[in-house]
Amino acid sequence: MIRKLKELFKEEQSCQRIEMPIDKKMLVEDLDLWYGKTKALKNINIELEENKVTAIIGPSGCGKSTLLRCLNRMNDTIPSVRVEGKVWLDGYNIYDEVTDCVDIRRKVGMVFQKPNPFPFSIENNIYYGCQVNGIDVDKGGVVERSLKQAALWDEVKDRLDENALSLSGGQQQRLCIARALAIEPDVILMDEPCSALDPIATAKIEDLIDELKEYYTVIIVTHNMQQAARVSDYTAYMYLGELIEFGETTQIFENPQEENTERYITGRFG
Amino acid sequence: MSLRKLISIWLFVVSVVIAGMGFWAIATQAQIGYWTMAGSLLIISLTCYASGIHHYVTKKNRKSFLMLFYGSVVLTVAALSIYIPSVVDLRPWEIFARIPDHFFFSMFMVVIGVLSSYLSFRPFYDYKKEGAQYGAYYLLHISIFFTLLPLFIIIFNIITRGMGGITWEFLTEDIVRMGEDGGVYPAILGTLAMISLTAVIVLPLGVGTAIYLAEYARKGLAVRVIRTAVNILQGTPSIVHGLFGYAFFVLIVFNGQKSLLAGALTLAVLTLPIVTRSAEEALNAVPGDLRDASLALGATKWQTIKKVVLPPSLPGVLTGTVLGLGRAAGETAPIMFTAVYFSGAGTPSSLFRPIQALPYHLLSLYRLVGYRDVEGQAWATALLLLIIVLGINITAIMVREKYRQRF
Repeated sequence: MIRKLKELFKEEQSCQRIEMPIDKKMLVEDLDLWYGKTKALKNINIELEENKVTAIIGPSGCGKSTLLRCLNRMNDTIPSVRVEGKVWLDGYNIYDEVTDCVDIRRKVGMVFQKPNPFPFSIENNIYYGCQVNGIDVDKGGVVERSLKQAALWDEVKDRLDENALSLSGGQQQRLCIARALAIEPDVILMDEPCSALDPIATAKIEDLIDELKEYYTVIIVTHNMQQAARVSDYTAYMYLGELIEFGETTQIFENPQEENTERYITGRFG
Repeated sequence: MSLRKLISIWLFVVSVVIAGMGFWAIATQAQIGYWTMAGSLLIISLTCYASGIHHYVTKKNRKSFLMLFYGSVVLTVAALSIYIPSVVDLRPWEIFARIPDHFFFSMFMVVIGVLSSYLSFRPFYDYKKEGAQYGAYYLLHISIFFTLLPLFIIIFNIITRGMGGITWEFLTEDIVRMGEDGGVYPAILGTLAMISLTAVIVLPLGVGTAIYLAEYARKGLAVRVIRTAVNILQGTPSIVHGLFGYAFFVLIVFNGQKSLLAGALTLAVLTLPIVTRSAEEALNAVPGDLRDASLALGATKWQTIKKVVLPPSLPGVLTGTVLGLGRAAGETAPIMFTAVYFSGAGTPSSLFRPIQALPYHLLSLYRLVGYRDVEGQAWATALLLLIIVLGINITAIMVREKYRQRF
């Protein structure tokens, strides 16, 4: 109570700032995360390159998705989660007390494992982000641009007012990507975006990721090591909540420094 | 075909015929004589004996004792049914004074018939698993039948008795001579005004509570306490609501004056838990994925609730509200102390004036039966009330089916 009152009367604080290293978009610094009393992330340090695709791989339960959700503060929606450490985005700490997580999520978009379009029409799905953020844009224009970027325009241009749930699974997932692109974020987080899709839809999304990195920084969590090797420039390997190894994808897959990484990549466990 | 199967089929046919006779007697209020009843029971018990004895002779095991035991029970009942009416006068069952004396016999024949028809599957158990299978299915069908039976009896009864009383005069005029003539026009308007006002009060309160419980509250002690309180409120007898409404709204708030508003407030308290619970369920049915998707696009929590969570759950919320109102429309106890007069209130003209309402009208007429000639009016009122309540419920169900969202 008293703390809340103090916060209320506290003078407007300026956000902590640092100089970002060149070509880096996000820095994760000494990040720890607890689910209740279980420590799920242990001292994570990682530098994410701008306009590159970074893949996070590792066996189930190693904390890949948790780390990803830390990057746009989606973990705040889970009541039992406690986070310590810093995540820098363009020199600002997103875990700063004065940072509004709504602003963060506007800059760091997210695509989920299961396609989750809203039960509205296709164009309203796309326009929703602009609407809630008060971005004043031409609706038709933003819908067309996002759908084209997500390589979905040709398939749906004649039925923009149909319910998004009538699309197929792969189309729904691309719609979710288009929806995330509509508010022009800097970073796009993808949490196993292809795990619910068939191989053809997966191939389409992988091509799309390749195109997206021209404009956006993409961070993708995946279960599929071939996928990581195909789409990513950098790869992080996690195991039991720790970041074991991080480096260029070719190096991680061809010449891993850690034995644990090598065993996972060669399929001896996980 | 073996003798055993023949006996089973005979038992099945006989018991179905007897159950049918009982049902027919209930539906048409025909009288079943003591001897008809005793005779049919005798046939059943003898068939059961035959089945049991045959089973014992051919199989030499003890399973047949069930049939013999059941046969004995039916035989005993048959004997009692001849004996009891001669020594006990059934008339003191005043609570069923409007139902023929022989209602119990009819009911009893239905029960015995259905039970026997189930038991007729019994002999098949030994050589066929399917026998047990059919028996189980049959039992399930019987339970559905018994669930629906009271509903049909009530509706059938009220329609046949109330139909004649519903005339143009009945629908458009006020009470004349304590309900012997005239109609229920002010009461219809009063009931409709009351439930509309209740809806206006209860909808924002209930939906607000539900949004708080489902979206904002952390799942801790406070939520458990609120939810338990809501459940207790729902379990409270309606007469207690009525007394509360009288003690608080009428005596304290409105200075001793019964009024439309006081009644609507009392009914709102009564329906609040129903609305809250159904709205909460509807909100919880919206997948968490959609909330995450909205938050990840930079929406605030309130924007998410307003634009993503509420629209698809609205049909559910409205259905719950309307079902709650359906219950409120038929309640007598909460309004009798707080809002209604039997006569003289006229059509509703002000929030602070008393009204007339259908349920209380029915209660008053029922009290007058025997002193004045109001029975036809009472049945007609009952039918009208039934039509209004069923209409409300059917509307709610249709709305839900039409706008139901699938994710």
